[in-house]
Amino acid sequence: MTEQGLQSGWVVVCDSAKVTPGEGFGIALGDARVGIYRLDDGSLHAIGDICTHEFALLSDGFVDGDQVECPLHAALFDIRTGKCHGPMAFVDVPAYPTREQDGKVLIFV
Amino acid sequence: MFLYNHWYVAAWSTEVSGQPLARTLLNEPVVLYRTADGQPVAMEDRCPHRRAPLSLGKVVNDRLQCHYHGLQFAPGGACVRIPGQERIPASVSVRTYPVAERYRWVWIWMGNPDEADPDLIPDYRWMTDDQWGAKGDRYHVKANWQLIVDNLLDLTHLAFVHETTIGNAAVAESADVKVTRGPANVLVTRWIIDQPPPPTYAKVGNFPGPVDRWQFIDFTAPSFLRLHVGATPTGTGGPQGNLEGGIQMRNLNCITPETESTTHYFWAQAHNFDPHNQAVTDLAFEQVSTAFREDVVVFEAQQRVIAHCPDSKEIDINSDAGGIQARRILARMHDAETARQSVPA
Ligand code: FES
Ligand code: FES
Ligand SMILES: [Fe+2]
Repeated sequence: MTEQGLQSGWVVVCDSAKVTPGEGFGIALGDARVGIYRLDDGSLHAIGDICTHEFALLSDGFVDGDQVECPLHAALFDIRTGKCHGPMAFVDVPAYPTREQDGKVLIFV
Repeated sequence: MFLYNHWYVAAWSTEVSGQPLARTLLNEPVVLYRTADGQPVAMEDRCPHRRAPLSLGKVVNDRLQCHYHGLQFAPGGACVRIPGQERIPASVSVRTYPVAERYRWVWIWMGNPDEADPDLIPDYRWMTDDQWGAKGDRYHVKANWQLIVDNLLDLTHLAFVHETTIGNAAVAESADVKVTRGPANVLVTRWIIDQPPPPTYAKVGNFPGPVDRWQFIDFTAPSFLRLHVGATPTGTGGPQGNLEGGIQMRNLNCITPETESTTHYFWAQAHNFDPHNQAVTDLAFEQVSTAFREDVVVFEAQQRVIAHCPDSKEIDINSDAGGIQARRILARMHDAETARQSVPA
C-alpha cells in the first residue's frame, strides 16, 4: 500500500510508550491519517484513522475490546483488520502491518 | 424533552425569601418561599380552588395564603384554612417538591419524591469553599436547554464567539482534545500548549510569555457542567500534572429547563488565586459574564432558526464528539424514564 508522497516501506511513527491499551494514538503520515492501538494482549495494530461515514478521527473514539467506536455516530471498526461493522459507516478502513523495534513503533505503508 | 428524576437548581439562595417567588421549571409552575426559620419550600404555583397562582399571595405564619379567596397551605402542601368553612376535606392540597439548599443555591427535585436523595446533588463545593472566591448569575435564555449543554462541551467556539475575553485562535486550532465517557458523564480534556494567553487570562494572570492552557469539561447528566480551566507558564510542567504556578478557575453551570424553548441558566465563576479579593472575583465574573452574554445571543438566534424549520438537518463535525456523547446519554435516560412511566402500577 502506498500513500501519496510516501515511499512504500517501514516507517518509524512514534515511541512505543505512546500506545497504551484503551485508547487510540493518531498520527499524520503525509496525507494519510493512521490510528495506532495496543490491545489488552499487548499486540499492536494500525488502521486508517478517518471514519468512512463523515469526518471524524477514530483514534479520538472509544476503544471496546478489539473494536473502536467512532466518536460521532458510533460506527464500529475492527482494530485488527479495519473492518467496518456499521452502523452509519459501511466501508472498511485500511489496516497496516506494524512492528516494534528499539522502543519505537513502525508501520508498513 | 425533560428528565425528571434529578435535582435542578431552582434559584439562588438569595432569591428565596418570605415573599413568594414564581418560577416555571420543566414546564411546571412552581412557587418558592422561605419559612420563618429559613427553610425553603416549593409548591405547585396553582391554587386548587380557582387556579389563581399562589405566588400572587403572601406567607402568613409559614403558610402560603392564596391572594384570591384566602385559602392557606402549609409547607407540606395540605390546605389548613378555607375562610368561611369549618371543615377542610383532606383531599384539598397542593403538590410540593423536595428541596435542599446547598452551594448557595436552592435545589428542587422534579420527579418521584421518594427518590429525592440529597446525596445525589452534584458537587459544587467551589461555591462555598474558603479557598475559592466565586460569583455568579442567572440568565433567562429564550432557547432550549440542550443548546447550552452543546455549547459548553465544544469550546472551539471560544475562538469565534469570545475573541475579546476567553478565546483566541489557538483554542480552536491547536487543542489536543480527548473525550472519555461514563454511563451518566462525559469528560472532555483539552490542552492548548505553548500559545499566547487569551485576553482574560492575560488580565487576571499577568503571564510574561506563552502558556499551557487546559480546559477539563465535566458533563454530568442531565445538565451540570463543571469546567476546570487554567493556565501555567509554558515549560513549568502543566501537561505533566503540575497545575500550580498559574491560574485555576472553575466555571460552574447548572442549566435548568424552564420550558422546551426557554431556560434558567445558573452559572458562576470561581478562582483560587487571591480568593478573598473581591476585585479579582468581580473581574473574573465580569469577563465570563461578557462571554456568556455573547453565547446567549447565539442560543436565542439558533432557537429562532430551529423553531422556524424544526425538521431542517444538521451535520456533525470532529469537535462535536463530547456533545454527541452527552446527547446520547440524555436520550437513553429519557427512554428509561418514559419506559418506567408507562409500566402500569
Ligand atoms: S463520522 Fe463516524 S459514524 Fe459518523
Ligand atoms: S383561587 Fe385560591 S382561594 Fe380561590
Ligand atoms: Fe461560550
